[in-house]
Amino acid sequence: MAPSDATVAVALPRSFSSRRARELMTGYLYLVPVAIALGGTIVVPILKAMHMSLFNYVLIKPQEYGFVGLGNYTRLLRDETFWLTLWNSFVWVFGSVSLQFLGGFAAALLLHQSFRGRAFVRTVTLLPWIVPGVVVALVWEWLYQPNYGVINDVLLRAGVLRDRVAWLSDPGLAMPAVIATNVWRGVPFFAIMLLAGLQAIPEDLYEAARVDGAPVTRRFWHITLPLLRPIIIVATATRVIWTFNYADLIFVMTGGGPANATQITSTYTLLMAYANLDFGYAATLSVVLLVIMLVFTVLYLRVTRGIESVT
Amino acid sequence: MDDRWAPSRRQLLQTMAAAGVVAAADLAWWEEPLVRPGRAWGAQPVRFQFSVPEPKRTALVESLAQRFNQAQKDFEVKVEFVPQAQARQKLVTSIAANNPPDCCQVWDNWVGEFEGMGAVEDLTPRVRDWKHGKDVTPIAWQTVTVKGKILSFPWVVTNDGVYWRTDRAREYGITPPREDWTWDEFRAAARAFTKLDKNQYGFGMRGQGTWAILYATEFMYANGAQVLKDGKVAVNSKEAVEGLEWYLDLFRKDKVCPPSVPTDGWRGIVEGFGRGVTNMYIHNSGSSEEQKDFVGAQNFATLPLPIGPAKKRTSFYFSETLTAFRNGKNREGAWRFMAWLMDDEPNFMYCKTLGLLPARKTLADRPEFAKDPAYAGFIRSFPFSIVSPYLAHAGWGGKLDSEGVPLFQQALVGKLTAREFLDKFADVLAKNMT
Repeated sequence: MAPSDATVAVALPRSFSSRRARELMTGYLYLVPVAIALGGTIVVPILKAMHMSLFNYVLIKPQEYGFVGLGNYTRLLRDETFWLTLWNSFVWVFGSVSLQFLGGFAAALLLHQSFRGRAFVRTVTLLPWIVPGVVVALVWEWLYQPNYGVINDVLLRAGVLRDRVAWLSDPGLAMPAVIATNVWRGVPFFAIMLLAGLQAIPEDLYEAARVDGAPVTRRFWHITLPLLRPIIIVATATRVIWTFNYADLIFVMTGGGPANATQITSTYTLLMAYANLDFGYAATLSVVLLVIMLVFTVLYLRVTRGIESVT
Repeated sequence: MDDRWAPSRRQLLQTMAAAGVVAAADLAWWEEPLVRPGRAWGAQPVRFQFSVPEPKRTALVESLAQRFNQAQKDFEVKVEFVPQAQARQKLVTSIAANNPPDCCQVWDNWVGEFEGMGAVEDLTPRVRDWKHGKDVTPIAWQTVTVKGKILSFPWVVTNDGVYWRTDRAREYGITPPREDWTWDEFRAAARAFTKLDKNQYGFGMRGQGTWAILYATEFMYANGAQVLKDGKVAVNSKEAVEGLEWYLDLFRKDKVCPPSVPTDGWRGIVEGFGRGVTNMYIHNSGSSEEQKDFVGAQNFATLPLPIGPAKKRTSFYFSETLTAFRNGKNREGAWRFMAWLMDDEPNFMYCKTLGLLPARKTLADRPEFAKDPAYAGFIRSFPFSIVSPYLAHAGWGGKLDSEGVPLFQQALVGKLTAREFLDKFADVLAKNMT
C-alpha cells in the first residue's frame, strides 16, 4: 500500500549554518562563567592598574588627585631606587633559580637511585616546599640572627669565624643570605619535577648505551639531559616568574634593607602602595612588572615551541 | 524527723554565684573575667579601631571596652583590632572609602595626615568644657594640635631616655652617670660596657623604623641643630652633620654597637637589652615593664639623654592618641568613650599596665610613676622635652619610613657620609612640606 501524503514525515529543512551557530553558542555559553571569573579577577584589575598608573593617586593627598598622563612613567625612569630594585630583582631571580635548579637536579639524581628508606627521604626532601613562605622567612631570620643565631654560633665554635657576622644587616651579605634561604625552599620543587622526568625515561635507552660501552657522563649528556629538557624549561620558566613576583621572603627577613640592598621591584611596589600609600606610582611599577613578565613569557613560549618541534 | 539542714538547689546556686562575685572582685580589675554584658535596648554601636602590638594590650582594651559598656546604657563599643603594621594603611583606606571607624588609637605623627585628608573631628569646642582639660599638660595638648585645632586626646605620653644595666655597671666597675652626663661620658660607658668575648655591646642603636631617625635627630639637636629654621628645612646644617657623624661613629668606628644595628627595629633593641647583648639603649618608657620581666626591676634604671657639645639635650615628646573621625557614624558615642578612657581609673590602669606615662598631671604625679626608677629617666627629661619636629608637616609621616630610613641605613653602613645622607634627607623633607 502506498503511503498517503498525510502519513509521510518530512523533515524540516535545517541549514547547516544555524546548527553550527547553536553549537558555537552552546560552547561559548559554557565559557561564560570562566570568562567572567578570569575577567573579574585578572583582566579588570590589570586594566584598573593601567588606569591608576595614569593618575596622581596618593591616598593621603586626595586634593592632589588628578590625571598626569605618563607622568608616573617619567618619574619611574628617573627613579634611581627603581633601577636598583630592577638589578636586585635580576640577581635575586637568577641567583635563586640557577642554584635551586642545580640543587634540585642533584637531589633528583640521588632520589632516583635505589636505596633503603628512599620513600622516607623523598618525603623529607619535600618539607621546605611544604612549609609556608612566611614561616621559612621567620625561621631563617632567627638562624641568621648575629647575636644569638645558630649559624654564627656553629661557625664560631667550629673556628670558621672569628667575629660574629651580621648576615642580614651587612649590605654585601644580605642578598646572598636571602637567596640561600630561597634556594633551600625551592630545591624540592626542582627535585620533584625532575625526578618525575627521570622516572619517565625508558630504561632501555640506558641499557643500550651501556651495551655500546657509553660511560656514565655520556649517558647523562646524551640521554638524561636531552630527554629532561622540556621539563627543565617548563620548571625553570615557571620558577623564574614565581620568584620575580615573590616578595614574602624578603619582606619578612629584611624589609628590603639594609639600605635597599635586598629591595626587589615587587617589595618596592608594596612599599610604595602600603607605606607611601602612593597607589598611582605603585600601579605604574605593577604595570612595568607585568610588561617585563610578558616579554619573558613571549620569549619562553617561543623557546618551548622550538622544544615541541624537536621532541 | 531529720532536722539536719540541707540546702536547696536554689540556695546552692545562689551561694556559688556569690562566691564567684567575691572571687572576681578580689582579682586585679583588668584581670577580671570578661563577662559580656547584655546589650542595653537601643544602645548604639561605637566602632573603635585599636592597633595591637601584643596580646596584653588586646586583653586590656577588650576589658576597658566592656567596662565602658557596663558603665552606661547609651552606647556599646566594639573594638576592631588590627596589626600595628597595617593600622595606618587600614585607617587611610577606610577614610578614602568614606567608612572610617568612629574613633581609633593612633600615634600623633599620623594625625596630621588624617587631618590633611579632612577626616578628623575637631575636638576643640568639646575639650574646652571637658572636666580634665586643665589637668592635661600643655605639651601633651601640643602633640595633638594641628593648625590651632585640638584633634585628639593625648591618651598616653612619653619621651625618650636611656636604659642602663645597673648590675653590669657594678660588675664592670662603671660609675653610674650623673643626671647631667655628657656625650663623652656616654661613649666612655658604651666602650666600658662592650665585651666582645662575652658577646656584649655598650649601646643598642636602632637602625630600622621611623624612630631610628628620631633618635639620631635627638643627638643632632644636642649639638645645636634643628630640623626646621624659620620655616625652612635646616636638617643638613653643619651642627647636624657633626652631631650625626658622632652618633653614627658609635657603630661605624667605636664598634660599641652590635653588628645587627642596620636592621634592628624596636623589637631588636628591646630584646637585645633584655637578652643581655646590649647594656644601654634609647627608647621610650613603653619597654620598661617588659624589661622588668626580662632583666629584673633591680637590674636596670633609666636616665635622661646625655648633654651634647652645644650644652643642650633634647628628648622628643609624643603621644598615643584617641582620635575621632568626622564621617564616623556615631560621633557622640566616640566622644563619650574617649572621654571615659581619659578618666582616672581607666587611664591610670592603661598607662601602668603598658609602662606609658599619663598625660594628666594628677595621674603622672602618683608614686607608681613618680617614684619608680624605671620611669625616672623619662620624668626627669620632661623639662627639656619638645614635640617631635617631624610632626610639623603631615607629608613627612610616611616619608621618614619609606625614604628616610633606607638613606639612614646607607649612612650607617658607610655608603653615604653623614653630610650626603642629610643633604638627601633634606631634599625628601623639602619636597613633602604639606
